[in-house]
Amino acid sequence: MAKLTIDGVEYEVKDGRTILQALDDLGLLMNGVDVPHYCWHPKLTIDGSCRLCQVEVEGFPKLQIGCNTPVKDGMVVHTKSERVKHAREGVMEFLLLNHPLDCPICDQAGECKLQDYAFEYGVKHARTEEPRRALKKNVDLGPTIKFDQERCILCRRCVRFCREVPKTGELAVFNRGDHSVIETVPGMQLDNPYSMNVADICPVGALTTKDFRFKIRVWFLEEAPGICTGCSNGCNVYLGVANNKVYRYVPRRNDSVNDTWICDVGRMTYEEIGAPDRLKLPAVRSDSGVLEAVPFAKAIDAAAARLRSLVERKGAGVLAAVASAHASNEDLLVLARFLDAYGIRHSGVTVRRGDSDDLLVKAEKAANAEGARTLGFEEAGPLAKQIAGGGIDGLIVLGHDLLDPAYLGGERTLAKLDTVIVLDTHVSALERVAHVILPVRHAAEKDATYVNHAGRVQRSWPVVEPSFEAYADGEVISRLGAALGLPGFDGKFDVREVSRSLGAAAAAFRGIDLESVGEQGIPLAGKG
Amino acid sequence: MVISDAAREKIRAEMAKYPKPEGALLAALHLVQKQTGHISGETAQEIADLFGIHPIRVMEVVTFYNMFYDEPQGRHHVHVCTNLPCSLRGARELLRGLEAHLGIEAGETTKDGRVTLAHEECLGACGYAPMLRVDETYHENLDLAAAKRILDELE
Repeated sequence: MAKLTIDGVEYEVKDGRTILQALDDLGLLMNGVDVPHYCWHPKLTIDGSCRLCQVEVEGFPKLQIGCNTPVKDGMVVHTKSERVKHAREGVMEFLLLNHPLDCPICDQAGECKLQDYAFEYGVKHARTEEPRRALKKNVDLGPTIKFDQERCILCRRCVRFCREVPKTGELAVFNRGDHSVIETVPGMQLDNPYSMNVADICPVGALTTKDFRFKIRVWFLEEAPGICTGCSNGCNVYLGVANNKVYRYVPRRNDSVNDTWICDVGRMTYEEIGAPDRLKLPAVRSDSGVLEAVPFAKAIDAAAARLRSLVERKGAGVLAAVASAHASNEDLLVLARFLDAYGIRHSGVTVRRGDSDDLLVKAEKAANAEGARTLGFEEAGPLAKQIAGGGIDGLIVLGHDLLDPAYLGGERTLAKLDTVIVLDTHVSALERVAHVILPVRHAAEKDATYVNHAGRVQRSWPVVEPSFEAYADGEVISRLGAALGLPGFDGKFDVREVSRSLGAAAAAFRGIDLESVGEQGIPLAGKG
Repeated sequence: MVISDAAREKIRAEMAKYPKPEGALLAALHLVQKQTGHISGETAQEIADLFGIHPIRVMEVVTFYNMFYDEPQGRHHVHVCTNLPCSLRGARELLRGLEAHLGIEAGETTKDGRVTLAHEECLGACGYAPMLRVDETYHENLDLAAAKRILDELE
């Protein structure tokens, strides 16, 4: 450990860190101690090219760049002195020399570090009358990114990102001095599974994603914390919300989960929230075999009536429940209680599997496979065989991963069942065989906890309201339990109360609930 | 293959001199360019393969330095210094005159592939301004007539 004094306050910092790294470790960088910077990024190698992070270090005749000056025990640093202020003004003036004054038409405006720092640390007037560099505009760098060469301040974050994180290295700086430009090599595209992160780390409007650019001004967005539910990694994100609509995901830093990155596939899953194929209307299949939209309460009553009639004829032994691993811990716990109370012995969890890599993308394409296993749900493979073989007459399905080729490979085998009750967020082939359909909420529409592949419990918040009637799976099952008159079910669903009883259901959850999980998540007992 | 086996051997020997083999990249580029005249995309790929790096890294270095070329060059390089002392002594007029004489602009190569004309920021011969460099040879204290004569004698 080393003692480091910054602006008169003494801190203990780890050995071998640079000044900016030490400030970042302390959580103080731009959050108590302002050392503006462009090229330095906590998850990339040090470049030292932007020169904006200069600070005064006692004993050094000249100002030092905070990003690349190692902390020495007893070091005394000043970040607010006149010399530092003067140096920042000088650097900002150089960075702005060739930057176009196109903020009004630039999509980065509002979240642009050049704008912010020019306002905060810059001089108010340009002293040059020479023409600015005229370079390429609106360049298609690849399938996801647009590039404006004139706005680039050559911090090289994108270049380093491509080399160091996906290790594809599509971008480089060509030429020298004031001829320097960032480009791809001719014939090569910026095309890798993490390409859109370059737009997040670009401090200016040089790199923007084709998906988000010009959709909405960022100052209209509320950046609400949440998690990506595209796979079992559970990357932390901010959901950009306005007008009760999610416009984008941007990665939210969590050093235990996703650092500061997210894969392109996961980033685009925000589209699922407001997708046109959301399941919107509760429905019941009529005697003539047609699905009819009915009020939610009627659909619940119809589901209860069908189940009751089946159980009277054949007993609860012919019932099964299959939950997809999209269901949250709270939803699954209520389902488990329902199964117990009703005496349903057949149950399991379905997880769609796909590609994975060694960075973020995990094979299990759902947020809560690990949570389901922790709560005692078994892999539904054998149960799917049993259903296909005709051993089951009534089925409650949460989500439609049961249709995946790994399980049933389609809905046809379900057509012969007496009762199929579907709780789902999106339209699927299940609707062709369902007798009762109950729309449920997406993770971004509810309080819920999920366990990622590494056993880290994370949570979602309700950041948008569905424009149609839908409830959390747990609430729907609670109401179904009450309609069936099951002991312990009064139709009420208090997600906080359910969350607090997770620890009683599975020891690994002890001491963990919605409130304690927080924005960064906490590991299950024994997974720390 | 653009790079000869002999050159490859030499490059490997250079790589052994540096703690990180990449340190030998400049030496390798000089070696290869001496044989090939310029570093094409194909050549960059071969060098990158030798070093186990991405060809884009090679092109970064090639475009950074003035004396590496990513396009075919003339048989002779004529570089006119246009930095301050040379300019004060008429280097810009000299360059204009040579452009007119050769019928090309600085940065271009004559149609017959004889001369590539370029301007250089500083060639470190301020005391003898204006001056130009033909390949490895300095010609100093020039006027336009003398410079034209030098160019005309090039094969």
